[in-house]
Amino acid sequence: MTADNMDKKRGIYIHMPFCVQKCRYCAFLSFGAEGSPRKEYTDALEKEIKLRAALEKENGTDRPADTIYIGGGTPSVMDISSMSEMVKTLKRSFGVSPDAEFTLEANPATLGRKDGVMLAKLQAYKFMGVNRLSMGVQSMDNDRLHYLGRIHTAENVGRDMEIIRRKGFDNVNLDLMFSVPGESGDDALNDLEKILAFSPEHISCYSLQIEEGTPFGRMAESGELTEVPDEEDRETYHRICRRLEAAGYEHYEISNFAKKGGDPDAPSPYRSRHNSLYWNMDEYIGLGLGASGFINGVRYKNTSDLDEYFAALSEGRLPVTEEHKNTAFDNISEAVFTGLRRREGIIYEDAVRAYLETDDDAKKVFSEADSCSEIFWEIFADARKEACDYAERGLLIIDNEGLKLTEQGIDISNSIMSLFV
Amino acid sequence: MSYLDNIRNFSIIAHIDHGKSTLADRLIEKTGLVEARDMKEQYLDNMDIERERGITIKLQTTRLKYKANDGQEYILNLIDTPGHVDFNYEVSRSLAACDGAVLVVDATQGVEAQTLGNVYLALDEDLEILPVLNKMDLDSARPDDARAEIEDIIGLDASEAPEISAKTGMGIDGMLEKLIEVIPPPQGDPDGRLKALIFDSYYDSYKGVIIYTRIFDGRVKRGDTIRMMNTGKNYEVTEVGYCIPGTVPADELKAGEVGYICGSIKQVADARVGDTITLANAPADAPLKGYKKAQSMVYCGIFPAEGEKYENVKDALEKLQVNDAAFNFEPENSAALGYGYRCGFLGLLHMDVITERLAREFDLDVITTLPSVVYKVVMKDGQVLDIQNPSNLPAPALIAHIEEPIVKADIMTPNEYVGSIMTLCQNRRGNMIHMEYLTKTRVQLHYEMPLNEVIYDFFDALKSRTRGYASLDYEFLRYQPAKLVKLDILLNREPIDALSTIVPEEEAMAKGRGICEKLKEIIPRHQFEVPIQAAIGQKIIARETVRAYRKDVLAKCYGGDITRKKKLLEKQKAGKKRMRQFGSVTVPQEAFTEVLKLDDGR
Repeated sequence: MTADNMDKKRGIYIHMPFCVQKCRYCAFLSFGAEGSPRKEYTDALEKEIKLRAALEKENGTDRPADTIYIGGGTPSVMDISSMSEMVKTLKRSFGVSPDAEFTLEANPATLGRKDGVMLAKLQAYKFMGVNRLSMGVQSMDNDRLHYLGRIHTAENVGRDMEIIRRKGFDNVNLDLMFSVPGESGDDALNDLEKILAFSPEHISCYSLQIEEGTPFGRMAESGELTEVPDEEDRETYHRICRRLEAAGYEHYEISNFAKKGGDPDAPSPYRSRHNSLYWNMDEYIGLGLGASGFINGVRYKNTSDLDEYFAALSEGRLPVTEEHKNTAFDNISEAVFTGLRRREGIIYEDAVRAYLETDDDAKKVFSEADSCSEIFWEIFADARKEACDYAERGLLIIDNEGLKLTEQGIDISNSIMSLFV
Repeated sequence: MSYLDNIRNFSIIAHIDHGKSTLADRLIEKTGLVEARDMKEQYLDNMDIERERGITIKLQTTRLKYKANDGQEYILNLIDTPGHVDFNYEVSRSLAACDGAVLVVDATQGVEAQTLGNVYLALDEDLEILPVLNKMDLDSARPDDARAEIEDIIGLDASEAPEISAKTGMGIDGMLEKLIEVIPPPQGDPDGRLKALIFDSYYDSYKGVIIYTRIFDGRVKRGDTIRMMNTGKNYEVTEVGYCIPGTVPADELKAGEVGYICGSIKQVADARVGDTITLANAPADAPLKGYKKAQSMVYCGIFPAEGEKYENVKDALEKLQVNDAAFNFEPENSAALGYGYRCGFLGLLHMDVITERLAREFDLDVITTLPSVVYKVVMKDGQVLDIQNPSNLPAPALIAHIEEPIVKADIMTPNEYVGSIMTLCQNRRGNMIHMEYLTKTRVQLHYEMPLNEVIYDFFDALKSRTRGYASLDYEFLRYQPAKLVKLDILLNREPIDALSTIVPEEEAMAKGRGICEKLKEIIPRHQFEVPIQAAIGQKIIARETVRAYRKDVLAKCYGGDITRKKKLLEKQKAGKKRMRQFGSVTVPQEAFTEVLKLDDGR
């Protein structure tokens, strides 16, 4: 392992592909929880954890995790007993930093019907080490929640939040979805107000994306559903940004807002440390069905086929289907387009480092005397003219240190990012 | 007995997918030329594009040796022919090099329009024709019906037609025996004055142009000075030989034989198909008949796409021309697309092949504009101009009238599709000359149609209306006056010359509306409104608007799947590379060719 890799943060992502029922917009990898092989799944996960950890040890690249993120699906539908076993195995196998961020995704109304059960369940998560909860609230309007195919109501959210707070969870994210068909900008802002009333430490806001192959996708095709026009969607987005800034949240990534700490000029202490790994070219181990990882310069992806996942692990192999060793250009390119998701943007120095550290020859080509900005624009010479056009149109800020999107630039961020791939 | 008695020069003629190439493969295999393990499927087809479309444009000529049941060894020269209407002239020259032809009829399909077209070309060259029923391994084969069709439609006795399967190899031996019996040996005087027909040529970077030839009289060897009788150019022969396939040198080629000649010739246009080779010091008195200069029927502009170098395009076009005498180009300047070339083709397929080769073999990014035919513009002062680029059409006030090329189109179809074909042809300004029942269920329709209507997706429309059963053959007939106007397209109020077309006056409105609608689909949304207008002169006849703004943002990066996100961005970038900037409007490059593909289901 190089010294460079040592400075990198490391996270672990674990995918739990089960839900009570699938939402009508969801193109994500998940299965109904009822009668599903949940126990078999956590058993398989434990095998994967052990295989992966052994491999890391063998390569001498093992080190403790700075973040753990259990996502889904709905991880909160998993049995506490098997979940707790799995987490024990995880911690034993990889090691976890004492101050690690440990997020669990949970959906309202899945934490237990009775207060007592819920308190106990949350206590169990605390024992496991979970210190951040991410709740898929999506809306505070019961008709809209029903339309989306969610199983909870606005009242469930209120009760869940009350108990979560009572249990002492002081780092909670709430997801809010807008541009649901039939929803006006005012409706979205009303939802936001109700969410703000819970004073969450973190809010993720994103517009509904109609994906092919989902019930919504089919409804859009048949004309049963009319998507919210782009113009309205963007207007709502910018209104949400305004409102959240006024409410004391830091807009630190395209869709993510974190409550500011004591020093309003310092980065918020509530930024999602795990998600930040993805935007900083840090390392993460992906575990579970369809999970992705990025370790030692290699991007990999696990199979999305549950039978194959089980088969691989019962044969003692990792369930990886895709593997790609990043080139120097891959690294700088990813550093740019993931980094541009952050409001602070990218710094040439970081991007160029991602390039030079992968390729010894590159170091020779660029002399010590070249500034990072010069090297950067030499690598992306083709993109320069268009990048300057975007800058002139007020969508991108280019300065001596690096690049960042403006809030207007976010609306067409894909076009700007695609200059750098 | 003369050596000539043991030579047979023949072609295989067939409808596009009736199995010509497969049969050629089988013959090569049967005569032991290529080991079975080295057989690529369809050995003779050597261009990827053709292989993918299953169309054969140019096959290689091959010399086969076959030991017949009579104990004698025969030299069989298989001279293959292109299989598409665009290449009729080339077909006719290849046939002229033969003494007979094997007519392959698909026993599951029967006779098709092109089969008939090619049979007529063969009859014009006085060739003996051996009908063969192919695809006999299929359950759907109906040899008796096919035989009856050959007799009824073509008028050949098919009672003894060999039944074969080129795919499995069944019946091939019997067919070869029959071939030696039916097809006559060549005639000619090896001691006469040299008369050799060029029936194909291609450029080889080491040897220069390699001419494929059939010697009718005389002989030719290395060191001779040959003369092309139609172009008058002389060359010194550096090599002669046989095509086995590939080139295998020989001492000489003599009357009746088929082989190749090299003479440091720089481009195929100097060894034009149909020309007659003779010796410079002892020339024949007259060339063989049938020489024709290649005539371009369809033109389009080819421009370097954004970021592509003009020089690269020029180099590639020059290289292609070296090998394709029917392809020509000259520089053109478009206000919208910049510097590029106006290119002439034999037909639409020829155009497709060339543009695809530019992309594949030369890795070029080019924009091709709408194909156009050549109009004869009769001016008020009596001058007649040939106009193939709509931008060059003179002001209406100066024009007396315009004439457009008309083709004779023969369409063969199962009778149940006659109605929809007639509707289609009517929409394309076709004029039905007559219709005949070839058999109880097969009909041939004879139309006269403007070529302009045939070159835009007519073939696709025909195929889609007849579930692929109809077949088309067309040839140029004459020029005919027509009421035509220039239709201009404006984007963001700026005329885009590369989108101008010449259309019949009465259809201008509908066409203009159609183009605007199509462009509205193709042009991505911008951060401002983009009006699309169609105009004749100053008059706007249709308008659409591309609404402003499009969000282009991914709210979530699911579970750190950076690779998925990256693929999306790469796709987007690749899509953008195929865009063209007009002022502040970005237009995808396919707009220039897609725009008139308006299937008239109307």
